[in-house]
Amino acid sequence: MEDVLESLMRDNVTEVKVVLASVALALAVYQLVLIAVGYGRLRPSFLAGRVASAAHRAIGDVIALLLIVVGVACVSVHGFEDDEAVHAVAGTALLAVLTLKVAVVRRGLGMSRALPLLGGSVFALLALAWASSAGGYLGGP
Amino acid sequence: MSAQARQLLGSLLVGLAIVAITIAIVTAKLGPGGGRDDDDERGRDRTEQRDDSGRGRGRGRGSDD
Repeated sequence: MEDVLESLMRDNVTEVKVVLASVALALAVYQLVLIAVGYGRLRPSFLAGRVASAAHRAIGDVIALLLIVVGVACVSVHGFEDDEAVHAVAGTALLAVLTLKVAVVRRGLGMSRALPLLGGSVFALLALAWASSAGGYLGGP
Repeated sequence: MSAQARQLLGSLLVGLAIVAITIAIVTAKLGPGGGRDDDDERGRDRTEQRDDSGRGRGRGRGSDD
């Protein structure tokens, strides 16, 4: 898998991961705005709540795909390293909570009222995973 | 095209614009030589660790080969 990824990304796995993770984080911020409109917390005249929720769902699918690709690349190329424990824990928890959120959205599971909490957790974990790896790589915090 | 379809299309186009802007900013930040200067050091460290473990699990960036 590592060789396949390095071949696909022309030996720039880390750089591609940084770009993809940054795109996912930027879209996640946009997701917060969309779902605020969807829940009626924001009421712009140019965007209806139902439309915002539909866009939130569509963009969420894209983010999930990006995170799966980044996660697979992370584990395949770098594995779980002791000196990046925060990143490993945040990334693993992110994919677990995201999986739970998708299951709740699709199946209900009697947890629909927990969706805002799950969504907030996904965002917080994504921000933490990004900051503990890509953010540092870009010279950020 | 209905008003809702226009709104949905607009929302998705905003998302597309966010993707394009983010890619432009991050790639500009990375530049042709990659990101943080000490990344090659990290790659070298990983390569050495892999060599030490004897697994031979591929190449690290910045290796001496």
